[in-house]
Amino acid sequence: MANFNIDARQAMTYDAIVVGSGISGGWAAKELCEKGLKTLVLERGPIVEHMADYKTMNDDPWDMELREALTPEERRKHYKGIRSGFIGKSVEHFFANDAENPYTEVKPFLWIRGHQMGGRSLLWGKQTYRWSNLDFEANARDGHGVDWPIRYEDIEPWYTYVEKFAGISGEPLGLPQLPDSHFLPPMELNCVEKHVKSRIEGEFPGRHMIIGRVAHLTEPLNGRGKCQYRNRCSRGCPYGAYFSSNAVTLPAAQATGNLTIRPYSIVQSILYDEDKGLATGVRIIDAETGESMDYRARIVFCNASALSTTQILMNSKSNRFPEGMGNDSGELGHNLMDHTYRVGATARVPGFEDKYYSGRRPNGIYIPRYVNVDEGSRSRDFVRGFGFQGGGYRGGNPANISDFGAGFKEEILKPGPWEFFITGFAECLPYHENKVSLDTENTDKWGQPTLAIDCEFKENEKALNRQIRKDAVEMLEKAGLENVMGFDNEHEPGYGIHEMGTARMGRDPRTSVLNGTNQIHAVKNVFVTDGACMTSSSCVNPSLTYMALTARAADHAVSELNKFNI
Amino acid sequence: MDRRSALKKTGLVAGAALALPTALSLLQACQNEKRPDWTPEFLSPGEAALVTALVDTILPRTETPGGLDVKADMFMDKVFARVYDPEAREALRKELAAFDARCVAGQGDVFAALGDTERASVLKAEEAAGGKFNPGVWGTAVGEQEPVSFYRNLKSMMIWAYFSSEEIGKNVLSYDPIPGAYQGCIPLSDVGNRWSL
Repeated sequence: MANFNIDARQAMTYDAIVVGSGISGGWAAKELCEKGLKTLVLERGPIVEHMADYKTMNDDPWDMELREALTPEERRKHYKGIRSGFIGKSVEHFFANDAENPYTEVKPFLWIRGHQMGGRSLLWGKQTYRWSNLDFEANARDGHGVDWPIRYEDIEPWYTYVEKFAGISGEPLGLPQLPDSHFLPPMELNCVEKHVKSRIEGEFPGRHMIIGRVAHLTEPLNGRGKCQYRNRCSRGCPYGAYFSSNAVTLPAAQATGNLTIRPYSIVQSILYDEDKGLATGVRIIDAETGESMDYRARIVFCNASALSTTQILMNSKSNRFPEGMGNDSGELGHNLMDHTYRVGATARVPGFEDKYYSGRRPNGIYIPRYVNVDEGSRSRDFVRGFGFQGGGYRGGNPANISDFGAGFKEEILKPGPWEFFITGFAECLPYHENKVSLDTENTDKWGQPTLAIDCEFKENEKALNRQIRKDAVEMLEKAGLENVMGFDNEHEPGYGIHEMGTARMGRDPRTSVLNGTNQIHAVKNVFVTDGACMTSSSCVNPSLTYMALTARAADHAVSELNKFNI
Repeated sequence: MDRRSALKKTGLVAGAALALPTALSLLQACQNEKRPDWTPEFLSPGEAALVTALVDTILPRTETPGGLDVKADMFMDKVFARVYDPEAREALRKELAAFDARCVAGQGDVFAALGDTERASVLKAEEAAGGKFNPGVWGTAVGEQEPVSFYRNLKSMMIWAYFSSEEIGKNVLSYDPIPGAYQGCIPLSDVGNRWSL
């Protein structure tokens, strides 16, 4: 792959600026470049070039001095993020440095960030689901939050568009609450998962267990290789088999000749022209030199990740916008959401001792939402719903076996017993009081205000979690599994790493920040298409929707530019 | 262990009544026998002898390499030295001392100086105490975790050190760095030992 053009000294003026290079920023760059716009992508961290910068991609445990363990210095660097359980030696360099990038937890909130080219597109779970009108109509139906300005029909062609390029594997099911994507062949369920699937579907009419729908190639696509089942995704995939900005969208943008990507560029604010009523560019701080400079463009796409985008907008103060750009409604920073996380059940699976699997499948099972999908499934205890992820595997903790010596050693060399788990993801309602604000008292090493996060799950989310745990135990018991153990880790928001909202889309400028094509109501050449734009949270993973909204907004942006409307 | 067994066999030591100063010299002897060229980064000679003896007892050499063959004890010492916080190291030191104190109280000597039978009765008592590890989901334990004993934590670490060593990970467990495909239902006999990665 060609080296990226990182020389932003040549020009200070572009057609478009994209702030951030993660899942949505990569899409914005690709779409705008392919439509002929000279585009500057501003990335807060270093360049991570596909293949060349995946430095741990082939490491076996014994290739690492301390295998996956972190030293005290490394743990201090990740002193907040480490509680996610995801940060080991082979991937820690792709997680942001919490010590250098502090935030205040007014209430406990885990904010996982990826400060490098590709952002969290290198680290994401890759579970990929379309939203349905059950989601887009939810706020209007039950009165929480404001109505989405779009419906499924508006985004449906864009789902198809991004899926064809990203590559999504999965099995069609025809469920109205979980529309089918344009699929590559599905990954395979293992013997135990097939068994549990048939038991649960037999015992619970209306419930389905499917292989997860994931952004992994099961067939080659556009020069990218298919998944090799190494399950080392978060180190960067040398085959480009899963969707990341690094392997997929940014190389496509680069191929147009229209892309410049500037690393170590912290966007401080968006510049605003009071006479024109439009943004004129952005002010950045070079993370390495501390130097401040301005870049100009006709349009600005905000894709810094939900909370960082909102932080930039709040920091973009002017006479017209004393409370932050686009904050006429007072809703900027509010209505923060995430999904609830790690509530479910685990169990032992009797039998299948003579069966095993080969390959490390970066995927598991999915149980689509089945409550509050129609009159017959309505709950009296809560609104909205939940889905489950999970899987079956041979596990068992060898250290739990009450034995030692020669016999013990031979036993633990054999595969352990089959185990099964399901864990729910519940929708979180948009509450005005769940919010972020600029913390000017606590500044970062570049002298910039940090974020204070004040967010909690409330009664509806807790009621959903109670139902998740109860249903999980019931399903695994009815499936004939043993030692069924329900759990609720009572994680605070942020653990789902699906934080979204804080600059929501809406129909009315008095109650929302963005319009139906992701433009700031009052600054039409600024587009927000990352998680900040979300009006509700659904219970399914959001990244595919960010991709589709971004491609749709980029199409609209170029159309408006061509009509001289912005 | 070997030194004491040998002494027993030659009749130089009668019964379990071993004077403490003798135990100290035996410790040095045991350590020298097992690990002549090893200078631990963190563990004292006595602590190292205990960890080495535990690894040798829990994961002995059979037709497959044992824990000492793959230097599990040396790796554990490295983890204590470079991964543990000072407070964790302090706590470890106390736990190791308490473990040997239990051995002395129950069996008359520190673990490294005990024979096979005495070691077995110590470990049986340790196995019976405390809780088991809860299952984990994506990197975090779930459910209400009851306290797990120092012994079981150390055993868990030892198994990690063993499995993640190159010799076991590549040549004993089933190793396939690039599977290329996922097959969800195959006979166990096609694979054999558990997957390494």
